[in-house]
Amino acid sequence: RLEAALTT
Amino acid sequence: MTDLDVHLPAIATGDADAFARWLAGAEGRLRASLASFAAAVDVEAVLQESLLRVWNTAPRLVPDGRPNALVRFAVRVARNAAVSEWRRLAAGRVVPEVELGGGEPGDPLDPAAAERALESGPADPWLRERIRRCHGELGGSPARALAARLGSGGLEHDRELAAGVGMTLNTFLQNVARARKLLAACLERAGVRLAEVWS
Repeated sequence: RLEAALTT
Repeated sequence: MTDLDVHLPAIATGDADAFARWLAGAEGRLRASLASFAAAVDVEAVLQESLLRVWNTAPRLVPDGRPNALVRFAVRVARNAAVSEWRRLAAGRVVPEVELGGGEPGDPLDPAAAERALESGPADPWLRERIRRCHGELGGSPARALAARLGSGGLEHDRELAAGVGMTLNTFLQNVARARKLLAACLERAGVRLAEVWS
């Protein structure tokens, strides 16, 4: 939740 | 942590976009607050259910004047939901008592538990290896900035992270943005299509 950097 | 209550008035009127902006800042902290329940409940399910409850009850929340009233409210909602789920599973013998350490999970804000959660990586070895490889290729300031972000798990303000790696806030933010772009491009070159892997 990397996801936020690139979420749930 | 920025005061996310700036979004509260719009959220209270049913503005889902405002809730999305609040979520972007609050989710990491909420997930960390459930770290001590990791073996007792499916934290992902509890977190999603809790966020839906927060959305439904936010219009009735009366701020107490301190920052991040909605985040603090959400932490309480999530903890209560986790305890309820843990008791339900324990009553149905789905969770053996021995796995719970003989008692109710401890303080959900236990910093040691949150720190332990950062020690493991993504489960898929193939994906983990490529992420590590790409992160290793970043090098220099972008790598240090991204490592600080990843290491904090959303618990620390960027200003604190920047100071920790010896950068000004502006330089830190530029390096984080650069690291994100480089990491995404590297993973794409390695055959990892982010939309497919993480959606």
